[in-house]
Amino acid sequence: MTPRLEADDISVFDSDGARLLEPVSIRLEPGRPLVVLGETGSGKSLLSQALTGALPRGLKARGRICLGDTVLDAARPADHRRLWGREIAVLPQEPWLSLDPLMRAQQQVSESHSLVRGLGRLRAEQAANRDLAALGLAGAARRYPHQLSGGMAQRVAFAAARAGGARILIADEPTKGLDAERRDEVAALLLQEVAAGGSLMVVTHDLDLAQRLGGEVLVIRQGALVERGRSAVIFELPHQDYTRRLLAADPRRWATTSPAQTGTETLLEVQDLSLSRGGRSLIEGLSLRVGAGEIVGITGPSGCGKSSLGDVLLGLHGPDSGRVERSVARPHAYQKLFQDPPSAFPRTLPLGTALRDLVRRHRLDAARVAPLMQRLRLRPDLLERRPGEVSGGELQRLALLRVMLLEPVFLFADEPTSRLDPITQQEVIGLLRELACQGCAVLIVSHDPELIARTVHRSIALTGGNGAGPDDRSHAGLAAAFG
Amino acid sequence: MTDRLSRTTGRRGSRRVGALLVLAVVLFAWLAPWLAPGDPYGQSLLKALGAPDAAAPFGYDHLGRSMIQRLAAALQLSLLIAGVAVVAAACLGVALGVLAAARGGWVDRALVLVSDSLLALPGLLLVLILSALIPPRPLAFGAGLTLVLWIEFFRLTRATCRSLLASPGVQASRLLGFGRLYLFRRHLWPEIAQLLLTTAAFGAATGVMTIAALGFVSVGMQAPTPELGLMMVELMPYWREAPLTLLQPVIAIFLTLLGLNLMAGGRQA
Amino acid sequence: MAATGYRLLQALLLALFIGVTTFAMMRSLPGDMAWRIAAHRYGYDLVDADAVRLVQEELALGGPLLPALVQWLTDMVRLDFGTSLVSGESVIGEITHQLGASLQLAAVALALSLLLGPPLGILAGLKPGGWLDRGLLVLASGLRAMPQFLLGLLLILLVSVRLGWLPAAGHGSAGHFVLPALTLALGLAALSARIARDAMAAVAASPFYGFARQKGLSDAQVLWRHGLRNVSVPLVTCLGLQFVTLVEGVVVVESVFGWPGIGHGLVHAIFGRDVPMVQGTALVMGLTFVLLNALNDALQRRLDPRGTGR
Repeated sequence: MTPRLEADDISVFDSDGARLLEPVSIRLEPGRPLVVLGETGSGKSLLSQALTGALPRGLKARGRICLGDTVLDAARPADHRRLWGREIAVLPQEPWLSLDPLMRAQQQVSESHSLVRGLGRLRAEQAANRDLAALGLAGAARRYPHQLSGGMAQRVAFAAARAGGARILIADEPTKGLDAERRDEVAALLLQEVAAGGSLMVVTHDLDLAQRLGGEVLVIRQGALVERGRSAVIFELPHQDYTRRLLAADPRRWATTSPAQTGTETLLEVQDLSLSRGGRSLIEGLSLRVGAGEIVGITGPSGCGKSSLGDVLLGLHGPDSGRVERSVARPHAYQKLFQDPPSAFPRTLPLGTALRDLVRRHRLDAARVAPLMQRLRLRPDLLERRPGEVSGGELQRLALLRVMLLEPVFLFADEPTSRLDPITQQEVIGLLRELACQGCAVLIVSHDPELIARTVHRSIALTGGNGAGPDDRSHAGLAAAFG
Repeated sequence: MTDRLSRTTGRRGSRRVGALLVLAVVLFAWLAPWLAPGDPYGQSLLKALGAPDAAAPFGYDHLGRSMIQRLAAALQLSLLIAGVAVVAAACLGVALGVLAAARGGWVDRALVLVSDSLLALPGLLLVLILSALIPPRPLAFGAGLTLVLWIEFFRLTRATCRSLLASPGVQASRLLGFGRLYLFRRHLWPEIAQLLLTTAAFGAATGVMTIAALGFVSVGMQAPTPELGLMMVELMPYWREAPLTLLQPVIAIFLTLLGLNLMAGGRQA
Repeated sequence: MAATGYRLLQALLLALFIGVTTFAMMRSLPGDMAWRIAAHRYGYDLVDADAVRLVQEELALGGPLLPALVQWLTDMVRLDFGTSLVSGESVIGEITHQLGASLQLAAVALALSLLLGPPLGILAGLKPGGWLDRGLLVLASGLRAMPQFLLGLLLILLVSVRLGWLPAAGHGSAGHFVLPALTLALGLAALSARIARDAMAAVAASPFYGFARQKGLSDAQVLWRHGLRNVSVPLVTCLGLQFVTLVEGVVVVESVFGWPGIGHGLVHAIFGRDVPMVQGTALVMGLTFVLLNALNDALQRRLDPRGTGR
């Protein structure tokens, strides 16, 4: 029987004594997952780190933790050490980076069996092979981490974390950076653990994962508990305004975009385009016409050539064969929004200077900046800062503003929200929709099928080598013909 | 967080100490001859290994030449050669590095081949061989050092610019209609400039060290030129009689190298 | 395989560079050089214009430029360096002697530096900012500001002359090894300690290190199984950097201590403008350097399955 974990009044302070996490009490029971939900920087990870005694150096926790008969003081993290691997298993945030790059998968699992559980070498290796086979990784036992995919690495890390015999599993952002399919896998893995009678605590900003796990939900914002309750209740009838906004930001709850006007001016026409990178054919025979005001989605697995396609559409590279025609001759009318906002600005330059450079370069009316800032809800003082000192959401809106100053007719948005929190993501997508309403054509690349389904008028699925064609899930307002 | 903060301020502090040390050495080299006028070549055998007096505050060497004069002249020589070589190497290395990264293709491959084949010879060996070809005059030394030092500037600049030019930031600026000059001024130069100080300080240290090392093994500057390595060899036989005189060039080169290394910061060459 | 090809190309370019430089050196020798060589060979009384011309032709001192250069390079490729202008002995024979002495010294120094540097660096890296870390930083800064000839000089003055414990110069007994090897090793150890310290600190702060601890392994187990192995990768890369210091050090340290090695030979040859010896020693030193790097590449590939490196 897995012991119950009870934690009373866990709080976290920084080295100056400022409180980063208000006191929270939790109870972990076998078969009932606990989900801690919150945005990046909300302090939700501090809770799990305080529970396991793994806070970053300089931070201090307070509170009492009971595990069966054992009572621990959160202020003395050294005492937690003997529980690691034996009672509490921690699933790492970035599995790829959490595996020793110089050690084969099997060894990373078997060392827990031999060194933590005390099995002999041979039996430990057999046990590791059994664990890996049970997770469908029998063929990967001899591989090194760089030879594993992200999903496989996640499962190896899972096996390694669990091999010491711990039945309490704590997972911090287990779906971070994974695409939709891998996320399903992780959810299944975690649910399987719960069904087998283990205890589970998951810290995440992934609403879909949270809803799937069920159990109890804690919503955390700015280091304080906003709301807690049974998962079904929270997701159906949230009491707090913040929870409501957070849930509404889930793409599955978005309203679909209203249909685009038909028969608008053609802005971009692609005929029989082929594209390869490094000798591998990515796209073959793609034809596409994009009209004013249209939003087109581009989906496909990573490495299938989505970004390369963007470069060709924008004229940054030539296609291998085929024709790309940009019908508006005005220079700089075809623009792009980048995945990682901080890297899209000169690193050392204050943002305001970068904007002034742009205004000067094109002799724009500097008076247009202020109202646009207001419309995109950007505070003027942001302009004095450098890209590294501004949040991702603000920076992405600023990148949008920079593009809007040039009044583009076409915008290629390359995973524009994949690094943003749900609420910020919703805002940015909303702004892209507004841009489309004003007649700009928008191409959105995303790995989130729900986001694509509710945002675009139609979408193209790239398969990475097997040619490309219209997605079978095309959407309302299919305005343009293909080819 | 606080740990990292104290580390960066600590590093900045040691950089400042290094810069002050270098400044002190430079001031000594150019002000000393002016404060205690004399001639670094002027011999007076009566005063050989003599104790300090008013005319020569640092005493006299085995030929009765004023030590302060010779030290200052030797430091001037080393710092000038190293300084000129570093500036020349930086200009050459940065220009070629930007060119290689921006052009790519055969220009890039050819430049990398040249720099890599020079790398096959350790720097000291390269200067040594060149000094065998050309008699060791300051100009030849500077040329040899430049040939050694430009490689590091080139490799760093090329690597930095390559990753920068492929970055979303540069792509965005291009799409927004900015030209090459802007890309260099706003994207490349600020990043290169941060590397320059470190690389230049290390380069100057290498230069000063190479000149002294070759002087010490008697294939560098020739007597009677005042040069730190050469002075040490000349004074070695008299170390029992005048240990403090021998110690002077030792301390001078130690402080110069310490200053330059601290200025360069923690990074390894 | 690409790495091996790259090293071969490097060796080739190196040989070409040395060949052309020494050829230019030969050409720029003062006019009476041929006479002196001939005199050395045949005795002063027997030198005549024919003998001088013979020497000139043999050394490619005269005649058209290009054929002479080709002849010079061909001789070099056939490892036919001729005879020393100073001693009259065959260059290749002298170099074989010297190389042995140099390799002994370098091997002892490298082993000594590896015993000193990495263990200290790893201990410092486990506690960044601790007293060992700070102390090591000060020591390393001091050592970096101390060129090898200076270190050698101070060691001679202190240990040999002042204390009279060890011989200052020469070759033969084990006692002769200590000072030159220590001089070389201290500089190398300062570098490898620094690299080991940074690598250990980075590894200890890495997610996989934390995860190994969270799996339930003890600190000693984590250090042994995950720490040391990962630190060894940058250390081996650093070994490549150290070969530069080693080769430069061999030149300087051998000259300071009068060690009859190849570095000493090179300096002597340059001092005496003994071109065949310059060519032979420089070429052998350069090729040894390239070979060491090639071996280092192979070691790196073995250690790191990711196949990073060059």
